[in-house]
Amino acid sequence: MIQFFRGFVSGIFAMLFCLVFSPLYLSAAEGQEYIAIRKEGTGNIALVLDKLDAKGRKETRFAEILDATMHDGLDFTRLFSLISPPLNVKDNTDRKNVVINFPALTSVGAEVYAGGVVTMKSDMIILDMKVYEAAGSKLLLNKTYTGTEADLRSVGHAFCADLVELLTGKKSVFGSKIVFISNKTGFKEIYECDFDGYGVEQLTNSKSISMNPTLSPDGKNLAYIDFTSGRPTLYIRSLNGGRIAAVGKSSVSIDPGWRNNNEVAATLSFDGNQEIYLVNSDGTLSRRVTNGKSIDISPTFSPDGSKMAFVSSRNGLPQIFIQDLASGQVKRLTFSGRYNTQPSWSPAGDKIVYTTWEKGGEINIFTINADGSGLVQLTQRSGENKSPSWSPDGEMIVFSSNRLGKEKLYVMNLKGGNERLLLQVDGEQTQPSWSLFR
Amino acid sequence: MKTMKPLLRSLFIPTMLLLGACGCCEEVVVPPPPPPPPAAPVVLPGLGDVFYDFDRSELRADAVGQLKTNADWIAANTANNVTIEGHCDERGTSEYNLALGERRANSARDYIVNLGVAPARLKTVSFGEEKPFALGHTEEAWAQNRRAHFVAE
Repeated sequence: MIQFFRGFVSGIFAMLFCLVFSPLYLSAAEGQEYIAIRKEGTGNIALVLDKLDAKGRKETRFAEILDATMHDGLDFTRLFSLISPPLNVKDNTDRKNVVINFPALTSVGAEVYAGGVVTMKSDMIILDMKVYEAAGSKLLLNKTYTGTEADLRSVGHAFCADLVELLTGKKSVFGSKIVFISNKTGFKEIYECDFDGYGVEQLTNSKSISMNPTLSPDGKNLAYIDFTSGRPTLYIRSLNGGRIAAVGKSSVSIDPGWRNNNEVAATLSFDGNQEIYLVNSDGTLSRRVTNGKSIDISPTFSPDGSKMAFVSSRNGLPQIFIQDLASGQVKRLTFSGRYNTQPSWSPAGDKIVYTTWEKGGEINIFTINADGSGLVQLTQRSGENKSPSWSPDGEMIVFSSNRLGKEKLYVMNLKGGNERLLLQVDGEQTQPSWSLFR
Repeated sequence: MKTMKPLLRSLFIPTMLLLGACGCCEEVVVPPPPPPPPAAPVVLPGLGDVFYDFDRSELRADAVGQLKTNADWIAANTANNVTIEGHCDERGTSEYNLALGERRANSARDYIVNLGVAPARLKTVSFGEEKPFALGHTEEAWAQNRRAHFVAE
């Protein structure tokens, strides 16, 4: 069981497990109501995440781990202002009937209160969570999460995922993965970690050069470029079965991007020109998308797969263009900046993030609306900032930066704020790509 | 066979004398049979790199002489096929540089093919910015890294 839970699907599986086997009292209507009450852009949600109750030595230890996991997880999202619980938040005089002191909560400015109990049944850890709206003392969520000791992190994050979805109406980062390149071993190999940098695992050991890893929206397949054959070749690897398809017809393959779970696009040059093709996840060619003499690379798709943003040198230096797949019509997206590359289409479909190589040598990250309006600069005066990739909830961007010397991975919000280092590992880390779980 | 006998004898006698001489003072060392003459080391005069301007894959005027030398070498060394590697400097972004490197290799190949080298003997590949020749972060280093590198196989 423990083995089964480990690995790539552990987070997802634990969540499914909880959904299937736990009594569920999530009131969607009340959650919607709560979202409606909160005004758009009013800042972080003031949350009291109370210390979990537990009796017994083991239970208390697991409760402390869960406390830390949930606190760190919710803090990572930067969606909350985490307020320490007031001392008199609970009236425990009647042990069977804990009463929450809502006036004390509102007096410290809390909007939402979350608390729970940890119990055990044989080897299973049971986390009963309740979420209340502080002002109206209304129960928003009452849900049980179950797992073994090995699943504690998934159990804690399953609650965090529910809480974020309840309060924002959007899917959260919990359970998502980031794949990236690290040269820790002396070779550029592919690694993955959880959304918060936890649990780094090496995925390739080709002792060659690997580049541009990207997970399919369902997280089942990994597409990447690798030089093992002596030339940059597109590989599509099934993460469950380990089956690897090499797209070998090409002389050079560049920068894959998934259109949906079954199709990945990449630049292949087997016919003499560098053109973007759609490739099935079994490695067979689906069809050619671009047709020209210039460089066409780095495809990224609108959520419905109908449009593709990509980099083209058709006007000279690289700029970002959008092609409608049905009609073949192409329009230029970027006009500001002389060298614009590395586009990534947001999960909501409204924005595209990309990098501009500036005259002074800096590389900076920008977002632009898919219609070409609303250009926003996210990084400045911090060296080379590259390979931006959206979190699945569209609230954060992961990227690499050499601002402190070596290239490392950072995350930031959509305004370029809250920039922080994602993980501390040896060597240089580059080309991060956040999974979608669309 | 008759002609071999004096030759063998002439080899045998000095060999035995040598063995005898060695045997007097130290352990008997049987010299290995003379190895066959090694294949002449592949000397590659002529195969040299050509260099490119920033963000360009078109050939510069100063590349032409080197490419003619390379074409002559390839014509003379029919046992070797040649891979042309396209490389870029570290600036810009790695995906674009991978594309640019291939175009540099292709422009060098096309020129050599026009000089009469059979296309089947030439392969091209790009390493983008992944394998710099010079490791500095100056224009001098970058200029050396924007290159098509010829490798005989």
